[in-house]
Amino acid sequence: MAAQTTKMAEFVQEVVRAMGLTLVATVEESPDGARINLEGEDGGLLIRRGGEGLQALQHVVATAFRDELGDGQRVIVDCLGYRREKDAELREMARFAAEKVRRNGIQQEMGPLNPYERRIVHLAIAEDPAVTSESIGDAYMKTVIISARS
Amino acid sequence: MSESGPDAASPMRAVAEVVARALVDRPDAVRIVETSRRGSVVLQLSTAPGDLGKLIGRQGRTAAALRTLVGLASERAGVRATLDLRD
Repeated sequence: MAAQTTKMAEFVQEVVRAMGLTLVATVEESPDGARINLEGEDGGLLIRRGGEGLQALQHVVATAFRDELGDGQRVIVDCLGYRREKDAELREMARFAAEKVRRNGIQQEMGPLNPYERRIVHLAIAEDPAVTSESIGDAYMKTVIISARS
Repeated sequence: MSESGPDAASPMRAVAEVVARALVDRPDAVRIVETSRRGSVVLQLSTAPGDLGKLIGRQGRTAAALRTLVGLASERAGVRATLDLRD
């Protein structure tokens, strides 16, 4: 376990403790980077409103440790498996959209999505050589267009 | 409730402090004054000059995240809270 991963988990633990939440942070190294999992009776609070609290936590950790995280290294904050489930759902939707494009050639749109979500979609689409994806828009949230590779 | 000591820190103040100190260049200069107005908690957070931008972030995303976390702490505590940022 990288020392910085442990430090990030300690920071997350300190933040949720300060918030008065009964949650325990554990870390896991995944191929996608460090994964900090929160478990406990107050988990519902972080998942509420589309995981707004989780996203806030993730943003704060990533920002605080930006200089220590190397290029391409990421940190994911999850709670009660919420993120994992949402990501799997998004991957499934991307594959479904790709399937539609392949079948009828009509481009599909997904979003607006945040950068983290867009990355999941782009990676899922990249697995299919028949389709290609691109983000459009200049705001933080962008729409991903999935179209047939010409 | 006027400015409370560290022992009396509300969860809202505690989370604002932990997060803000982790984000700025001068954590020692982060000050939070907690006051209560008509049953609602007001946190006034100040930083060293030049550090405020770090708490605001691009498109105000860090400030929004900070407010979300303070908001959840207040929800858990069953009170209302607002966060003011200033340098």
